[in-house]
Amino acid sequence: MEFFLLSVYVRYSFFAPMSTSIAALRALIEQRFPDATPLTGGSHTTEQVATGIGALDRALPNGGLPRERLSVWAPQGGTTAILRAACHAVVAGGERAAWIDGDNTIAGTFWTRDDGGLYLIRPKSRLHALRAADELLRSGGFSLLVLAGTEPQGTETVRLTRAAREGGAALVSVGSSASMASLRLTSRLLRYRWRRTPFGDPAEAQEATVRVDVKAVGWSAHTVFPIPVTHHELRLSLESELADRRGLPR
Amino acid sequence: MSYVCLWSPSWPTGADFPADLVAGLLGVAPRVAVGERGLVWGDARGLHGGQLAEEMRRVAGDYGFDDTHAGVAMTPVGAEVAATRSTTPVVIVKPGQDRSFIAPYPLSVLTPDERLAPLLEGLGIETCGALAALDAEAIEIRLGADGVRLWQRARADDARWLFKIPPRALPQASLEWVEYGLKDPERMLFLINSLAGTVCTALVARGERAREMALVFALGNRTQRTHVIRSSRPSAEQKRWIRLVREALDTITLPDAVMGITLRVESVTGNDGAQGDLFDRGFASAPAVEDAIIQLTDDQGDVVVTPESSEHPLLEERTTWKRREAGEVAGSKARGLDGSKEPALNLTLQLLPTPKTVTVDTEPRRDHEVPVRYLDNNEWHDIVEAAGPDRVSGGHWAASYSREYFRCVREDGMMVWLFRGSAQQTTDWFLHGWWD
Repeated sequence: MEFFLLSVYVRYSFFAPMSTSIAALRALIEQRFPDATPLTGGSHTTEQVATGIGALDRALPNGGLPRERLSVWAPQGGTTAILRAACHAVVAGGERAAWIDGDNTIAGTFWTRDDGGLYLIRPKSRLHALRAADELLRSGGFSLLVLAGTEPQGTETVRLTRAAREGGAALVSVGSSASMASLRLTSRLLRYRWRRTPFGDPAEAQEATVRVDVKAVGWSAHTVFPIPVTHHELRLSLESELADRRGLPR
Repeated sequence: MSYVCLWSPSWPTGADFPADLVAGLLGVAPRVAVGERGLVWGDARGLHGGQLAEEMRRVAGDYGFDDTHAGVAMTPVGAEVAATRSTTPVVIVKPGQDRSFIAPYPLSVLTPDERLAPLLEGLGIETCGALAALDAEAIEIRLGADGVRLWQRARADDARWLFKIPPRALPQASLEWVEYGLKDPERMLFLINSLAGTVCTALVARGERAREMALVFALGNRTQRTHVIRSSRPSAEQKRWIRLVREALDTITLPDAVMGITLRVESVTGNDGAQGDLFDRGFASAPAVEDAIIQLTDDQGDVVVTPESSEHPLLEERTTWKRREAGEVAGSKARGLDGSKEPALNLTLQLLPTPKTVTVDTEPRRDHEVPVRYLDNNEWHDIVEAAGPDRVSGGHWAASYSREYFRCVREDGMMVWLFRGSAQQTTDWFLHGWWD
């Protein structure tokens, strides 16, 4: 690789002006190693999938998650909420999104059934999750695929990146392994706004503030925005040892 | 015209009816049925009813029955009345006029039940038209279900199935040999691939897709073993069926060598496809998505799911995951496009498949204890805010539960869901999930 690049550089530096040689080198690298080209500053900008969250889209290079590329988003810190919102935005735009729940942590109560274009896959194992991702990416029918709870490693990442490029989808892996990732994102919940009891104790978190850091080659940005907190429908009994029969299966 | 009714007052009825006449009539009519009282029915769907009636009369004449009458109508009852009550040899009832045609005829043309006939006579109803003019409710109350059926026929609303639909032979292919017994699965697969090619080609030619295929092995011990293979989506693709066969062969154990293989289609469906907007990007890629989803389902089972939630007090018991149906998968729903509106953004609870035991330190807060830190994966997490307890209990008639839940914010900002098993067992703390 290095020898190849050097030879190209030498050839062009001898026979062409410097600006032409850099442009040619860029074009050659883009052609041969499409994953290595930066999201910004190349001869063409990458197509993107907007998340629908204005503050976040402004912080992302080209205004969205890059299509045909791998983005890695560190888990927790509101990642699920933001990516699910991005999936909904994709569906609202008439396209499809898929969510591979590798560790089966999605609570059905909070999964919206109305979105015909959002597919939830609950695989039985890590390998199944990766196979499912590969299959769906290659189908070419999805704009955004979120792989959560399963982190591809080594050649698995290469394979999935290629599948994303073939299918034209934006692949977001929720994990920490950023190799081959064009975009790296981390998010952190900074603070909560609470509704308090008459005694001053926290009763219910109403809103959290999240900070998202975006990094790519030649790009570093962050944004802060609020996220409402949804609580489960609590079914209480006044005394913990009393039977609470409300809602038992009829 | 749909039905031709042929009748002669002279020909024998019941078992004495000449069978060779039916064979002769089949030469001119696609389907022939011999009904009650010596009525012979010809299927005139898609044909000219008048010409078919003449042809059938001619054939009957060839067999020595010159006094036949034929009625042609859209309904069996119309054709029957036309054949049996008219004086002219052929009567054609105009389409849509069956009811008015039979209206003036006495009720006896409908051959009412022995119990109903005197009742109708007592009510003063003598003609088909008089009966047809009554309300269905009135008929049902006074004459019951049999009366309603007679009333429907009086209205020429006759849904009798006169012609049995012959079962269509579904495609199949087989191969047998006697010189040797086959035990190698790969060689079997080679043969089955050839059979599948024949069967799938036949399916494509018929415009059908197979839902099920049966793989029948003729064994050396003169027995047969049948294995039904199902595809989660009807298909006429050889590649898909061979993949399913390959998977099936991995699980099949045969007691003897194979001397013959038959691949038989068990059930089929039509080549119906969804219609939609060609410029809809979602619709354009729907077949590819459907193929991918079906492939996933075939490989991994019901992994493409949708939740069905109940009202169970325990959150982990509320959801049942159901397989997403193929129709839902394939469909491209019209979606309201509103680029200006931000999508729903909410921190929601993520649940561990099984609550995880953790060690929790607590401190008193008025009348209860609240967590202040917990140990998970050998790491202590300090809790800066804790809301709760939220008490949930029940199930006393089955597996009882009693929990005190706390929503706790860790120092790193993550909000976790901890619960204590019961008031008496203060050490039983669990991490059930987190907000993300």
